[in-house]
Amino acid sequence: MPELRKDPVIGRWVIIAVERSRRPKGFKAPAQTPQEDDCPFCEGKEAETPPEIFAIRREDSRPDEPGWDTRVIPSKSPFLRIEGKLNRHGRGLYDVMSGIGAHEVIIETPTHTANIADLSETQIAKTVTCWIDRFVDLSRDERFKYVLVFKNYGLASGAGRVYHSRSQIIATPITPKRVKEELMGCKKYYDYHDRCVFCDLIRQEIDTKSRVVLDFDGFLAVTAFASRFPFEIWILPKEHNCDFSSMSVEKRLYLGKVIKKVLTKLKLGLDDPAYNFVLHTAPFRHKKAKAGYWKTIEDDYHWHLEIIPRLTSPAGFEWGTGFYICPITPEDAAQYLREVEVS
Amino acid sequence: MTELRRDPVVGRWVIMNVDNPLTPRDIHTPSHYYEETSNCPFCFGNEYMTPPEIQAFRSPKTQPNSAGWQVRVVPNKFPALQIEGKLDKRGMGIFDLSNGIGAHEVIIETPYHSKDLPDLDQAEVESVLRMYCQRSRDLQKDKRFKYIMIFKNYGTAAGATLDHNHSQLIALPMIPKNVIEELTGSGEYYDFRERCIFCDIIRQELDEQERVLMENDDFIVFCPYASRFPFEMWLMPKEHQLFFPESSDEQLSSMARILKESLMRMKKALNDPPYNFIIHTSPVDGEERQGYHWHMEIMPRLSRVAGFEWGTGFYVVPTPPEVAIKYLKEAVL
Repeated sequence: MPELRKDPVIGRWVIIAVERSRRPKGFKAPAQTPQEDDCPFCEGKEAETPPEIFAIRREDSRPDEPGWDTRVIPSKSPFLRIEGKLNRHGRGLYDVMSGIGAHEVIIETPTHTANIADLSETQIAKTVTCWIDRFVDLSRDERFKYVLVFKNYGLASGAGRVYHSRSQIIATPITPKRVKEELMGCKKYYDYHDRCVFCDLIRQEIDTKSRVVLDFDGFLAVTAFASRFPFEIWILPKEHNCDFSSMSVEKRLYLGKVIKKVLTKLKLGLDDPAYNFVLHTAPFRHKKAKAGYWKTIEDDYHWHLEIIPRLTSPAGFEWGTGFYICPITPEDAAQYLREVEVS
Repeated sequence: MTELRRDPVVGRWVIMNVDNPLTPRDIHTPSHYYEETSNCPFCFGNEYMTPPEIQAFRSPKTQPNSAGWQVRVVPNKFPALQIEGKLDKRGMGIFDLSNGIGAHEVIIETPYHSKDLPDLDQAEVESVLRMYCQRSRDLQKDKRFKYIMIFKNYGTAAGATLDHNHSQLIALPMIPKNVIEELTGSGEYYDFRERCIFCDIIRQELDEQERVLMENDDFIVFCPYASRFPFEMWLMPKEHQLFFPESSDEQLSSMARILKESLMRMKKALNDPPYNFIIHTSPVDGEERQGYHWHMEIMPRLSRVAGFEWGTGFYVVPTPPEVAIKYLKEAVL
């Protein structure tokens, strides 16, 4: 009998096809992104990208020259543009706003590597530092409400043809719908229980163990109870914190380690699948924002990272209903991933 | 400069590329081809390969589960939900779950292997729509079900696992989240203005004539203002109507005509793209939601949804509806 499960935060139901549970071999990994000879993201090709915004580089090196570990540049084809004033208006019953925002690319390594899982944990920690630095800088711009840090890996994930490992950061003038749903879900839970829903979730997952993939150095990686996708994984800091940008340098290294381990397990266990990951953190808390709305956010929200391997593609049913059919139980997925040996 | 637009019903913002719209020429659709096969379970003559049929429109004097049908409904061989059993909802610590009660049926639209819906003649499309209505009306008698969803996946990229054209019906013991959002959005609008938001949308679209692809006496097809996908189309009855399965035969005939042509235009303009369509209708939980208005959403699957969209529910649309409509109108049928 299949099972219907409800996400405790935003209330989304999913169908877990318990009996149809396909073994990981039943999923075909989509073709890899092709190799490119003239990669603009490699060290030595700095002139081919727009000027850098931020970089972690050797002290004796200069901007837009070799000698960097991680480098942040504006996107060449941005969804949203940084210049201009935010202009909101109506068109009959439709609402419209100018496309103000920021869209940046974080190049995660100077070498021509595709998967962040193949970088060292210190190198991944430097990427985390770039995210934090850019996040803090963009939060000073009062036009922006939210910053999304995410990564597309592999063609099936929506990544372009460029092979080189990178993540993206987008600042938006609104709080996006899914984020808002999550925030409202957390607030509602907190109003009723006086506790953070994610802290409760962490406690329960550690108790039941069946969905735990990794648990070390202050981080927990679990397959989601109401997974939308097979092998959907959440990485959560065990200590309550709503804002990832307050993470200490030491914790960034631990996060780098967890990210590396989890993604390496996915790579080895599922034959190098395409994936997306998305950082969920509290929106900017500008002073002029409505007071009531943010009053408890420090206590009710908990930042985390969601990883979605792109093994199946959602069909009409999922789009229409927001109701996902997941062909493998998260318990089976977690067990499988626990058994994948990572050195 | 791009533009942010908000869907007036559910409040979802999208990023619209109004400066450099992507045109059909920039879009490469993997061309659709039908694998010729003698063992397609949906072809006529192979009825024994499917579970026994639930219902069919067939020629007089033909037997169930044999050739001679025009539209045939069978249970899904690999159902996402199962029809037998009692609904059992429970909690598990902070988590909620329920057993997977529901119905999952396949509507085989034609006995012929390589015909898609727009390739059928109008009367055949009408039979398919009539079958949708009959199956819905039959299943809504089952009090365990709160929502009945009819949808179609065409092409592998849209999630179809079999070549032979078919649509699906799923009956659910709860109202899905996206539907709740639509119901809430339209319900709030109705409470405040005492008008249906979809009726207002139809009026505005007919006034502006910027996004309307086609209309006849009963229906309108347009590209929605805050489309999530390039070349997305919505088909709506002009008259305020809550439930799709209550459509009259005249309405279904009119719908068949406009649906066939819209799909054909999409097929020609975009080189036979993979697509999904979904019928959004009122829940069957016994409540009448006056602010709702049934409609069909048609989405060609041209772009892949990436991390940004997953994380935010905020879509980036490379072709604005005002541009998409031109290509759809120009398509030579």
